[in-house]
Amino acid sequence: MKLNWFTRKGIFYLPVSAIGWVILVIAFLYAIYIFADIDSRSHSVSDTLINFVFNLLIIGLVYTLIAFFTEKRPAGIQPEE
Amino acid sequence: MENRDEFLKKMENLQVPDANPSSHQKAVKMAIMNAERSAVLGVWLVIVPCYFLICVFMYYYFHINMGWFAAMFTLLSSLEKVPYVDFLGPLVLFILPIVCIVINALSIIHVQVQKLGPDQRKIREFNISIKIKLWNILLILLSLIIVSVFISYVMTENISSIKN
Repeated sequence: MKLNWFTRKGIFYLPVSAIGWVILVIAFLYAIYIFADIDSRSHSVSDTLINFVFNLLIIGLVYTLIAFFTEKRPAGIQPEE
Repeated sequence: MENRDEFLKKMENLQVPDANPSSHQKAVKMAIMNAERSAVLGVWLVIVPCYFLICVFMYYYFHINMGWFAAMFTLLSSLEKVPYVDFLGPLVLFILPIVCIVINALSIIHVQVQKLGPDQRKIREFNISIKIKLWNILLILLSLIIVSVFISYVMTENISSIKN
């Protein structure tokens, strides 16, 4: 089944369909929620950032994994020659 | 008429080049995965362990006593104590680099088993060809370093706990 939800620009995936945009927005909202949650429990700005960077990288990884399997590819070109 | 006979004679005596098709094989070597896509996913797979290892090296090797570097491994060690997130540490430091190695290896390695020729039916040839793709090879090496560092850490921890 072909799912053309994302397209690749460099090492980043950009959404090209409505479902892709929904996934990107969910990732953003989750990142904001995580940031607010960490910020409410931390004692300093650096404490917030330290914990948030790790979570942001994990969110980016999960988003990229979804985009990797649902990427828009040209017809007929599968593996590289 | 004479000219025609001469021409036909010339044509008959022409030496046909003896081309052996088996010696001119040019196979299209297809890899299982796309090299560029594998490299992109590989970058995302090793970015978290690399960040973690950089923090550890900065703290222990270069003795930079900053909260930022110390907090990274206190964060990972604290993850082990949380019930449903305890798998995250080994996943990030071991499973993801292994996946990175596999997908990048599949994108640059081509394996082929073939018979040598019609007269040598029993003999088979096993060919492995590796494409020189810089990013894929770099990611494989980086992942191998991460996995070896993690394995050596686990081994030394276990040995020291057995001794104690």
